[in-house]
Amino acid sequence: MVTMSLSRDSVIEVEAVSKSYVSEGKEIKVLENISFSVGREFVSIIGPSGCGKSTLLRIIAGVEKPNSGKVVFHLNRKPVIGFVFQFPTLLPWLRVVDNVALPLIANGVKKSRAIEKARTALKIVGLSGFEDFYPSELSGGMKQRVNIARALAVEPDILLMDEPFSNLDPLTAESLRSEVLDIWLSSILPIKSIIMVTHNVEEAVLMSDKIIILSPRPARVLRIVDVKIPRPRTRKMPEVQELVDKVYEYVS
Amino acid sequence: MARSKRVESILLPVLDILQSIPILGFFPAVLALFVTTLGPVTGGEISSIFLIVTSQVWNMIFGVYSSVKSLDPSIDQLTAVYRLPLIYRLIYIYVPASRSSLAANSIISWAGGWFFLTSAEIISMGRVEYRLKGLGSFIVSAYESGDVEAYTIGLLTLFTIILVSYLVIWNPLTIKYTGIKSLLGFMRIYVVVEKALSKIWGLIIEKLIMAYSAIRGGISAIQLCFLLSPILLYLYYENLHYEKLILVTSNLYSVITKYGVEFLWALPLTLIRVYSVVLFGIALSILLAYISHTRFKLGVLIVMLGEVLSSIPAMMWWPILLPVLQGFPYGVMVFVYLQGSLWYTFFNVLLFGVSSLKESILELSKVYGIRGKYYLLKVFIPSLLPSILAGGLSASGGAWNASIAAEYFKTENFTVDMGGVGSLIYKQTLAGDTLGVLSTSFLMSLVIVGMNKALWARILKRISGYYVVEQG
Repeated sequence: MVTMSLSRDSVIEVEAVSKSYVSEGKEIKVLENISFSVGREFVSIIGPSGCGKSTLLRIIAGVEKPNSGKVVFHLNRKPVIGFVFQFPTLLPWLRVVDNVALPLIANGVKKSRAIEKARTALKIVGLSGFEDFYPSELSGGMKQRVNIARALAVEPDILLMDEPFSNLDPLTAESLRSEVLDIWLSSILPIKSIIMVTHNVEEAVLMSDKIIILSPRPARVLRIVDVKIPRPRTRKMPEVQELVDKVYEYVS
Repeated sequence: MARSKRVESILLPVLDILQSIPILGFFPAVLALFVTTLGPVTGGEISSIFLIVTSQVWNMIFGVYSSVKSLDPSIDQLTAVYRLPLIYRLIYIYVPASRSSLAANSIISWAGGWFFLTSAEIISMGRVEYRLKGLGSFIVSAYESGDVEAYTIGLLTLFTIILVSYLVIWNPLTIKYTGIKSLLGFMRIYVVVEKALSKIWGLIIEKLIMAYSAIRGGISAIQLCFLLSPILLYLYYENLHYEKLILVTSNLYSVITKYGVEFLWALPLTLIRVYSVVLFGIALSILLAYISHTRFKLGVLIVMLGEVLSSIPAMMWWPILLPVLQGFPYGVMVFVYLQGSLWYTFFNVLLFGVSSLKESILELSKVYGIRGKYYLLKVFIPSLLPSILAGGLSASGGAWNASIAAEYFKTENFTVDMGGVGSLIYKQTLAGDTLGVLSTSFLMSLVIVGMNKALWARILKRISGYYVVEQG
């Protein structure tokens, strides 16, 4: 049985983050005073759809600015972030390997080196042999693997995932979940923390060390649940079922 | 048509040919037909309307065609499973599906109509000239007679009409149905206009469905053709001049060689000019698209400016341009070429292209810090490519068309003949050489269709699988 020694030193500190939009003259509050910390662990953010989970993830990624509050990284350098989008978001005019290599090349990695890293990342997600394919030639599950490979290729400190399995059929989703967990647990990559946004309670319980439950909009942190069930976890484990029921209660 | 392979394979090339026939090439045929059968007044009006329509309709048809074509295949299954009759498919699927394309194309067509206004209101063929009553001919007459006041009033009226119609009708329409944001429009007034129009549309649909259920099971389309055929045949025989036809066919060989050789000599010049202008237009449109993509407010201004500039009728430019370009005929030629072709790429790229940049792709670039050169080459331009090509296709048609006005022009003081196919057609028109205009126009259409098939169709086919960003 694999048990990770979880060091709870904080890697990411989300401090009193609030965000609102102005739409047609009306102010819509999306996030309200969100605070939590993330250590060297797998954290799931769960909440009803439309509650602002994805906005929170984008703020952590630095793509969006909060109206107040901040996100602090306890790293001795600017964090490298890998982002798995909800939809594959591949550039249809680039080959699979070029799609994965693009973020590297755009950030100054030499092309040959970037392609090499992209190949390695594709191998990790089980797509060796598909490097020269175009996205339109792949199935939905394979495209999502490319999406994950692209996030891995940058060798991220932090891996952010926005409902990464929600648009896949259940079987593909299942196998991708365990692959992502394997990558995370085997420590072949220097990923320090993973934050996954999801609305699938079971998925959150099966995968994460900590679940942050958000309220409907404007999102506030309702509760933070530590998941101390030993891995590997399966659906049938009574602890899992118990916790799933409990989290459902908190959510609704 | 786009949903049936057989109909498509026949109609598409026909449309292709019709689109590429230059508006001036249409003159003799249309004039002869309408004026001789209906008299100069009615016939003149009808041929004017016909000419304006031909300058507006083709991009609309292609727009509808491509939107129907790109409908999800499951729609076909839907119509098959529920056995939707054609009329319902039209009203509930094809028309709504083409709505955004029709709206956006209306902006280009509106400009195209105004641009050809004077050409359509003053129709000359050899020594005969028909001047119809209208704003276009009013302005030209005022200019020719040196009446500054009338000329100014005419121009101001023209500008006001163009500006107001964009702000009140076409821009709001396009904003509403395409979600394109980079347009200036007064939504409030438009809402009233649309209410009235949708009432009329609702009535039309009601009547159509009533008519459909009335003839349903009664007569089929084939029977309808049989019923109409005597009328068609009558019309056909009435207007056909046997003697002329026989004359033409018997002299066919010598005619072909004479006009053909002239055409071939003139072709390379125009060919080079047309495609250089198209390339330049594409480059300029990409540059402007990048500016309006990065600076939203500037983008709105650029598009509005484009709407006005593109609508200014061809002949209105002369008084402004000639003093400046008197000693520089090349400049005038390039200008006319650009005016006739740039706007297709301009509107396609700045309206369709920029708004088709997917939010998800922009976010991808932000998350992974894809900027500068890589952003431009790997993300921005490839995203625009479908609209660049669609615009380029129309722009090359427009440039061929414009060659007639660009390569030969005449004012009181001087005549400039730059050579080329356009100049050839214009001179044949001046000389009243109907057969020459027709055969040169025909040869030109052949070349255009050939280029479209050889160049654009291939590129389009190649990229179509790869260059449309899908969601999910």
